Amino acid sequence: MEAIAEQKSIYLQDYEAHAAQVEESKGLRRLHRNGIERFEAQGFPGRTVEAWRKTDLTPVLREHFVPSDGPGPVASGLIEKVGALGQAHRLVFVDGWFDAGLSDPGELPNGLTVAPLSASEERMPAIMWEALGAYADTATHPFAALNTAFFRDAVMVHVARGTTLVQPIVVVHVLTSEADRRAVYPRTLIVAEEASQFSLVEHFVGADEPFALNCPVAEIVAQQGANVDYYKVQEEGGGSAHLGAVHVEAARDATVHVHSFACGAKLARTDIYANLTGPGADVTLNGLYLTNGRQYCDHHTWVNHKAEHGTTRQLFKGVLQGRSEAVFDGLVKVFEQAQKIDAQQQNRNLLLGKLALAHSNPRLEIHADDVKCSHGSTVGQLDDEALFYLNTRGISFDEAQGMLTVAFANELLTPIRLDALYQYERRLLLQQLPGAEMAGEMS
Amino acid sequence: MALLEIRNLHAQIQGVEILKGIDLAIERGETHAIMGPNGSGKSTLAKVLAGDPSYEVTGGEVYFQDRNLLELAPEDRAREGVFLGFQYPVEIPGVSNTYFLKAALNAIRKYRGEQELDAMEFLQLIKERAKSVKLDEALLRRPVNDGFSGGEKKRNEIFQLAVLEPYLAILDETDSGLDIDALRTVADGVNSLRSEERGFLVITHYQRLLNYIIPDKVHVLLHGRIVKSGGKELAEELEESGYALFEEAAA
Repeated sequence: MEAIAEQKSIYLQDYEAHAAQVEESKGLRRLHRNGIERFEAQGFPGRTVEAWRKTDLTPVLREHFVPSDGPGPVASGLIEKVGALGQAHRLVFVDGWFDAGLSDPGELPNGLTVAPLSASEERMPAIMWEALGAYADTATHPFAALNTAFFRDAVMVHVARGTTLVQPIVVVHVLTSEADRRAVYPRTLIVAEEASQFSLVEHFVGADEPFALNCPVAEIVAQQGANVDYYKVQEEGGGSAHLGAVHVEAARDATVHVHSFACGAKLARTDIYANLTGPGADVTLNGLYLTNGRQYCDHHTWVNHKAEHGTTRQLFKGVLQGRSEAVFDGLVKVFEQAQKIDAQQQNRNLLLGKLALAHSNPRLEIHADDVKCSHGSTVGQLDDEALFYLNTRGISFDEAQGMLTVAFANELLTPIRLDALYQYERRLLLQQLPGAEMAGEMS
Repeated sequence: MALLEIRNLHAQIQGVEILKGIDLAIERGETHAIMGPNGSGKSTLAKVLAGDPSYEVTGGEVYFQDRNLLELAPEDRAREGVFLGFQYPVEIPGVSNTYFLKAALNAIRKYRGEQELDAMEFLQLIKERAKSVKLDEALLRRPVNDGFSGGEKKRNEIFQLAVLEPYLAILDETDSGLDIDALRTVADGVNSLRSEERGFLVITHYQRLLNYIIPDKVHVLLHGRIVKSGGKELAEELEESGYALFEEAAA
């Protein structure tokens, strides 16, 4: 294994080589430059960095991931997944490169801009340029910094004041087998103007084999009274490392639902930051993770109540099989001025494998004196009594286990407001569980 | 061959012997009642017959329609036609009553080589059976026993019995926690399901239930053994004398 000092310089060298080749606007260059400087200042986190203490990055640090230099061919199985969520304004990126052929933005209603940055730089509203990179925390998140240094394209979503979208926006990120030992840096910016309302899905899929490093960053800005549902579905192939960050900025009376579904990748982590900056903001962070084999899956959340009368709800549930390991670590911080807020945080883990391991660390830091906060966590197995009850009705052990597990996970599927996505995640859930074939029609 | 034949059954939980040699035979069409004070082993007997893995059978034999019951997994006992009505039915949030019953019924039918019911046939069946045991149809769509009242839970057990049509139904203190009206409804449900093909083993603490479900035979269980068997009049006798009389006899 190489020394950390050399690791830094490798990425800096890549950056410099890349910067020499590419022509780009001053603004973008400044942003990229800033990213690599921020990365150089911190390097990869060691196990002494609290936020990364449980995440074993060794396999990632041992490898040199060169930025992907072009899209690979998309296998037919992955093509099917591209259209799996039905009618939508759809953008598709392959190994980080926009694929116009697979994309289908459809007819864009007034008030909606959704386009890859590469194809729309000139006509991007000024507000988008101001927002791009303004929220992601590159100072403390090394992979957000790397993304900022290296992203070549970005999904730019702008929804104008008062616009309600009928169809969801779906962004599919495909990793092909060509992405082996390549790094991909998907970047997404969503600006929801005052009182706009819409849903957006980021769907991460990939071939089974490649050992790719995928570092997506999404910035979601919800202005006053905006209502945004953001779904992240991560079902990459079992070889990849997925280290992503999602940043939510919620202004006065804005409502943002973040839903993270993770069942893919060998090493997966999604860090979710939510800043409630205006009074009455309402943010929900939901997560469902299904792990198997030797998968590692991690969700870290940082919720910052910076204004009064805010509400946050967090519910993360995990179903762990085999020798897999999962982490939930969440900090709710209530600032001094954030009176009358209501924050809830729950993490529940179901261990189906005897060797599976779940870590749960919900935390509160409260500086205001008139607030309602609660948190809790459980790690447990299926209820023996319930299993026996089902057995005495003729239902086999495997089926009973599947049924009870679906029931456990279903609490996080029912809030999904896009039916096609609900059905899709449900299928993913059933595929993961032993004896759950029958539970398919369960409701 | 009897429907159920229990010979010298011994069982323990966590090293403590609860059943200390039970002998009992039930013929098709018969209803037997087992009465006994708390801690006598009534519920243990019910659970051991259904295959609860927390109990260990340490001796004896149980035959059900010629099959060695103790060799079968709990789900296979159910598929062979043994049903246990629970004293405390388990709540299963997230699984609807309808779905649960459909999975159960089709598992049983499949095991018996019968055609699985399609959605329409199944719906028709459960609506009809819900009506026959006076179960509110709204409860069919609710999660299994979740938020049900005590009476609704017990009625739901009888409803499941009506749908699954077992050959032997073991009812473990189905009367506990029921007011007189609920008790009557449950008893009516049971009585409507009595037939020449089916046997019942009704376990109860009180004689009250047996005013409504008239048994063919009554057994008194004490300290893990059946200390006396008789006709339905034995239940009345017990109501007057209490279990103390048998305590002396057993000592």
